[in-house]
Amino acid sequence: MINGNLKASYAADERVLNNSYKQLFVYGMMAVLACFATFANDYMILIACKMGILLIAVVGVNILTGYTGLISLGHAAFVAIGAYGVTILDNVLMGVVPEGLMFFVIVPLAVAITAIIGIFVGLPSLRVKGLYLAVATLAANFIVIFLIEQDLFAPWTGGMVGVNTPSPNLLGWVLDTNREMFILIAIIAFASLLAAQNLIRTRVGRAFIAIRDRDYSAEILGISLLRYKLTSFALSAAFCGLAGAMFAYFYARILPEQFELDLSLELVAALIVGGMGRTMGPVFGVILIVMMPEVIKVVFAYFTGGDASAARYTAPLQEIAFGLLLVFFLLKEPLGINQITDRILRAANRWPFARG
Amino acid sequence: MGQFVQFAINGLMSGAIYALIAVGIVSVFKATKVVNFAHGYLIMFGAYFYYTFAVIIPGQEWAPAWLASWEPAWLMESREGLPMFSPMGAVLDWAQNLPRILFGIAGALVANAIVGRIIERTLMRPLMGQSVFAMIMITVGLISIMSGAASIIWTADADFVPHIAPNAPIRFEMFGTTIFLFGADLVNMLIALFIFAGIVLMVRYTKSGVAIRATAEDQSTAYSMGISVPKVFSRAWVLASTTGAIAGAILATRNGISPSLGLFGFSVLAIVLMGGLDSYIGVFLAALAVGVMEAMTQWQLGGDWAEIVPYVAVLVVLLIRPHGLFGSKEVERI
Amino acid sequence: MLKIEDLHLSFGGIKALQGISFEARPGEITGVIGPNGAGKTSLFNAISGFYTPDRGTVYFEGRDITGLSPDKRAELGLARTFQNIALFRGMTVLDNIKLGGHTRLKTNVWQALRYFGAARREELELRRDIEERVIDFLEIDHIRKYPITMLPYGLQKRVELGRALAMQPKVLMLDEPVAGMNREETADMARFILDVQEQFGTTILLVEHDMHMVMDICSHIVVLNFGQQIASGTPAEVSGNEDVIEAYLGAAA
Repeated sequence: MINGNLKASYAADERVLNNSYKQLFVYGMMAVLACFATFANDYMILIACKMGILLIAVVGVNILTGYTGLISLGHAAFVAIGAYGVTILDNVLMGVVPEGLMFFVIVPLAVAITAIIGIFVGLPSLRVKGLYLAVATLAANFIVIFLIEQDLFAPWTGGMVGVNTPSPNLLGWVLDTNREMFILIAIIAFASLLAAQNLIRTRVGRAFIAIRDRDYSAEILGISLLRYKLTSFALSAAFCGLAGAMFAYFYARILPEQFELDLSLELVAALIVGGMGRTMGPVFGVILIVMMPEVIKVVFAYFTGGDASAARYTAPLQEIAFGLLLVFFLLKEPLGINQITDRILRAANRWPFARG
Repeated sequence: MGQFVQFAINGLMSGAIYALIAVGIVSVFKATKVVNFAHGYLIMFGAYFYYTFAVIIPGQEWAPAWLASWEPAWLMESREGLPMFSPMGAVLDWAQNLPRILFGIAGALVANAIVGRIIERTLMRPLMGQSVFAMIMITVGLISIMSGAASIIWTADADFVPHIAPNAPIRFEMFGTTIFLFGADLVNMLIALFIFAGIVLMVRYTKSGVAIRATAEDQSTAYSMGISVPKVFSRAWVLASTTGAIAGAILATRNGISPSLGLFGFSVLAIVLMGGLDSYIGVFLAALAVGVMEAMTQWQLGGDWAEIVPYVAVLVVLLIRPHGLFGSKEVERI
Repeated sequence: MLKIEDLHLSFGGIKALQGISFEARPGEITGVIGPNGAGKTSLFNAISGFYTPDRGTVYFEGRDITGLSPDKRAELGLARTFQNIALFRGMTVLDNIKLGGHTRLKTNVWQALRYFGAARREELELRRDIEERVIDFLEIDHIRKYPITMLPYGLQKRVELGRALAMQPKVLMLDEPVAGMNREETADMARFILDVQEQFGTTILLVEHDMHMVMDICSHIVVLNFGQQIASGTPAEVSGNEDVIEAYLGAAA
């Protein structure tokens, strides 16, 4: 017995929010976020912006790893390319493009560049699988960061010391506070999620999942592995590039070390913790991965009473907790938080008749 | 030409260390099909353990004096009147340090073996036969756990660590240039080669080596033929962590001790894939090749370009030969 | 429709196929039989493009397709099922069958990301098509939302057939469609195969061990043994053939 599930047309059945519980949840969340923008304090806005940026990137990793089944440990490189792309393009096109239109020109451009580089990084995926690909992308990550740090490119990238980034100007509205940025990031993050969900309910996304589950029988259905693996790489890189663009706009300055392996691991960990290959997986994962260090900081400071000498333990503790979180989910709930919420939703759906 | 030889020798010496690190990754992969992304951090632990047993403990008040510095009468006598930086002086320095070097290596071996076993028991064993993907991602999680743990346990800044062998400078002429190297580096290379060869022979000729190879072929068949697969798993991890301890001790003397030692694991991972994951000989050649290429890059382009050599090399190799230089291609059955 | 000419295939030193030639006539069911290891599945893999033959040609509607990749062959209208079910286990029955429609759809990435408009129209049209033409036809409407892993073996086989049908294929290749089924399930499957032939006029090529079924539904049979084609003809001709009897029962005492 499943409640609230009567459909009279195929169109109704193909909707994303195809039952009232999902509708309630998503519309409720949207309302909460709208209130959040007005009432939350600056600290909460900061955290929420971090989550939003990370979410866009994790949605990208989900397309590649979750849906297409190709492991990448180097997606931070694409975030870097997006961030540096926007910054450099802004400097180069200053005066050429009217300021109010700059955002609408350089963000798509930076995203497109990231997607093209994504295709190049994805080339090994045609010949190698699994592990080999993980190491190939890891290598690409090291190389990209290395190039950004080189003196050769320092006039544009700022080298090791980083570079100042612009504030977005939307048709004359300059978003120079975090609160304004939050609105932009929230809208883009929501659009990214919706786009990913749309992707997997059409031909392209199904092809990705087919490649993940069994690539030879995908071929037999007319799915070109070459084309779709590269498409997946391009798309996931594009989302990461978009996240990078938001990253650059949000922070006043970017440094190469912000896009190193740690970020790549964070993206993958958020995906695994949240639930791979599920639309809402990145959302849950990002919330947990961003909140955890904050909670540790607060709790640890409470127990040590703000002792300065103990404060140096905070960063390693956060690092350990991050690793433990990943390990815990892999051992105990490999399908992530999304699996837990699914169980709850299913129970709610059948209530009061049966559980399970 | 002389310069070339000098850099080639330097490259071969670091290549041998890479091979020693790689042997741990290959052994774990062969036995368990898991690529250990955290191997570099196992090595970092090895380095810190060596530091703990060779420097911290002998430096304590309760430690016997001979552990910190061994000073028998005959040794002190022969030191008399020796000039600074003489080869003999280096050997005597080493002899003085010998007790703590041995204590350090023994301690690092035991401690790292325990760490390897704990990892295998608590994290790998529960997933045995279920999900290789999860096991690999767990090693990714281990990266954070181990690097965080190291910075909580060992707080001291990089300190002097005694060389494993006498660090006498060696000079000789070749092609009209003076070639210059350190005795310790030479001995390190020999140790690495010796261990590498020993492990290859062990896997090829001994009973437990056969068990590892059988498990590599097919876990469930090996299990049903009476090979204790869990035992093979834990042996492979202990092997990886003990070779890692020695590699860590050597790296500690060469590069100093810092949490960034863990990053060595990633370049060696690239080397391992270049060589072909399951082929000891391929990985050995790849390690030497990358060592030499790094040295050449350092010579021609400068030190920081050398650090991406393994990554560029692995991408090139994977595009040309997807299963590495010597790796076996798995035949897919449809 | 589908014509094989002098096909040779070897793996290392093993000669899997040696000079296979036959034709699957339009609208008919052609059976390929032979003892284990005769090369039946290798033949299927060569026809669908996973293996490149050493020599010989595969013609599809008179066109040489020997050099095409599997996905290109699928686009032309060649569908197949696998001996050990190759469904996508992470998906529902409905999504698996929808995947069969892949080559007929036009949605590009950009439309897919936006969904509304062209992509939505196409998706709804696909849904209607597979509901009416495949799901109804194969009587699997009660399980359309089930994940594959929850289905019993026989139903999985049927879903795989459904996925192939969703491709609207011109030639349908079935690799042991009733292997491991009981008599009732076998009869069901045989009925579905005959229905496909009758209703859609699909050319069918079939590998099977179940001799009764092959003899009953095939109009033409090719017999392989150790990679060689030892006989071909109508069921009656083949079952009377000396070589065939010897291959199946061993040399006459």
